[in-house]
Amino acid sequence: MAITTQDIAYIAGLARLDPHGEGFDKLAEDMQGIVAMVDQLQELDLGDITDVIDTERKNALREDVEIPSYPSEEILKNAPVVECGGVSVPRVVE
Amino acid sequence: MELYQKTASELSSLLQSKEISSVELTKAVFARTAQVEDTVGAYISTDEEAALARAAQIDEKRAAGEELSPLAGIPIAVKDNICTKGTATTCASKMLENFVPFYNATVVDKLNEEGLVITGKTNLDEFAMGSSCENSALQTTRNPHNPAHVPGGSSGGSAAVVAAGETPLAVGSDTGGSIRQPASFCGVVGLKPTYGTVSRYGLIAFASSLDQIGPMARSVEDAALLADVLRGADPMHDSTSIPREYDSLHAKLDPDMKGVRIGLPKEYFGEGIDAEVSKAVLDAAEVYRGLGAEIVELSLPLSKYALPIYYILSSAEASSNLARFDGVKYGYRTQKADDLIDLYVKSRSEAFGPEVQRRIMLGTYVLSSGYYDAYYKKARAAQRAIRADYAKAFEQVDVILTPTAPTTAYQIGEKTDDPLQMYMGDICTVSVNIAGLPGLVQPCGFDSGRMPIGMQLIGPRFGEQKLLNAGLAFERATGLTDLVAL
Repeated sequence: MAITTQDIAYIAGLARLDPHGEGFDKLAEDMQGIVAMVDQLQELDLGDITDVIDTERKNALREDVEIPSYPSEEILKNAPVVECGGVSVPRVVE
Repeated sequence: MELYQKTASELSSLLQSKEISSVELTKAVFARTAQVEDTVGAYISTDEEAALARAAQIDEKRAAGEELSPLAGIPIAVKDNICTKGTATTCASKMLENFVPFYNATVVDKLNEEGLVITGKTNLDEFAMGSSCENSALQTTRNPHNPAHVPGGSSGGSAAVVAAGETPLAVGSDTGGSIRQPASFCGVVGLKPTYGTVSRYGLIAFASSLDQIGPMARSVEDAALLADVLRGADPMHDSTSIPREYDSLHAKLDPDMKGVRIGLPKEYFGEGIDAEVSKAVLDAAEVYRGLGAEIVELSLPLSKYALPIYYILSSAEASSNLARFDGVKYGYRTQKADDLIDLYVKSRSEAFGPEVQRRIMLGTYVLSSGYYDAYYKKARAAQRAIRADYAKAFEQVDVILTPTAPTTAYQIGEKTDDPLQMYMGDICTVSVNIAGLPGLVQPCGFDSGRMPIGMQLIGPRFGEQKLLNAGLAFERATGLTDLVAL
C-alpha cells in the first residue's frame, strides 16, 4: 500500500504536525520507505490467528482508596503560561 | 587500580569494610567525569553537590552501624527520560528542555531507598527513539572506545558513562533494544527485564506495552545487584507491573553450565549480520560448550517480520503517548499561535525533532481509518505468533544466544540520513520486546577496529536468573574487559 503525498499531508493534520514546516518534504520522502518496510507484514499468513485480545492477561485494579493529589502550584510550575492559578491558552470560544 | 575502574561489587566490599567512603568514591567518579566528559558527552546534567551530600549521609549511616543495602553509597547515573523530582528531565528533547518533575519515578525512589548516589542524567535519542544517540536535540554523545563512533541508543549516555568509568552503574530503558544495543556498542552489560517486572511509573512513555527500565553495569554480578533494586510490583502506580515474589537474583547466581541447553537461532546468523559479529557470538557458544552446556540449533521463523511488527506497534503507541505534548500544560509552547489548534501544531512541529515526527506520523497512519486492520490489528495478531515462536523454542532450550546488533558501533553521521538503515540495526533486539521477554547483553569480543561486540542471551518470561547465570559463567570463563583508556 504505497502512501501518497496527499495521505501524508492528511496524516500530518491528524497528528497535529505542520505539513508545510521546515523539513517536511524530507519527512514525506522518508515515510514512503518506512511504509514500504512495514508493508512486508502483509505477506505473512497468520492462519487462524486473528484475535488481538490477549486472553491470558487480566486487568489489574488497585484498591479504591483516597490519596492526596499533587499540589496545583507544583504542577503549574511547568506550565508555559499561567494566569489566575490556571493554564492560559488562546481563546477557544468566540 | 583507580576507584573509577572498579566494579560496583568490588566497591561495595570496600565500602562495607570501610576501606573507602562513599564521599571519596563519589569525588573519584566526578574527577573522572571532569577528565573525560568533554570527549564523551554522556551527561545532560550532573549535580556533584547533591551527590556528595547524599554520599555523606550514607557514610554517616554506615559509621553509625546502620544496616545498609549492598549498593548503598555507590554512584549511579539515570537516563534522562526517567523522572527525578526537582531535577530537569528532558528526554533529550526541545519539548521538555525545561521540564522539572514534581515527583520521582518509582525506580528513582528505589535507588534512593537503597542508598545509591545519583550523579546525574544521561543523554538519549529524543524520547528514546533511535539507535545511536544522534537524535538527541541537546548534545552529541561519543563512544568511549572511539570518539568518532556512536555509543548506540537510545540509552547511549548510560552505556557511555559506564564504559568511560564515569559511574560504575546506570539505569536505562529499553523499548526495542535501547539498553542492549548501546551496551553492545560500548562493551558493557545491560539487562532488559521481563515486561512488567520493573515499574514504569515516572518513565516518560514511548510505547507503554514495550517500554521497560533496566540496569547497565560493568559486570554481570553488578547488573544482578542493580536488577534486585529495580524489580518489584508497583500496584499503586503501574497497572502493568506484575505482583509476584521477586527473589534476589544476585543471591542465586550460579555459573554452573553443565546440562544447560543454549539455542542458536539460524535466522540470527545469516544475511545482514557482520561476519566478525557472527563469529564472536559463535565463539561464545563454543565457550559454553566447553563449560558443559549443550548447544542446540533452532529456528525462530517469524524473525524476519519482527521489524515491521515492532515499528507498527511502537509507533502506534508513540503517536498516542506523545499526543499529550501539545504546548498547553507543560513543555515547549510556540511564541506565536493564531488559535488553539495552531498552538498545538506549531508547538509540536517546532519542538519535536525529525525522528520523533516520523514515528508519530507512522503511528498515526497505522491507526487511521482504513489502515488500522491491515497494519495495527495484523501486527498485534503477529505479536501473538512471535510469542508462540519463542514458547516453542523454550520447549527445546533454556536460553537463546544471538548477536545484539548486526554491526559494531558505526561512525557518527554514517546513518543519520537514512532512517530505514538505522531501523535495520534493531533487527536482533526488537522481538524480545514484542514477546515481553528478558534479554541480557554482555561483551564477547572486539572487531578488527577494536570496537566491542556484544552477545545477547534471551530467556523465557521471568527467566532473568537463567540469563544472569549464563552471563556470569561466560564472564568468569573469559574475564572482565578492562575499561578503555581515555
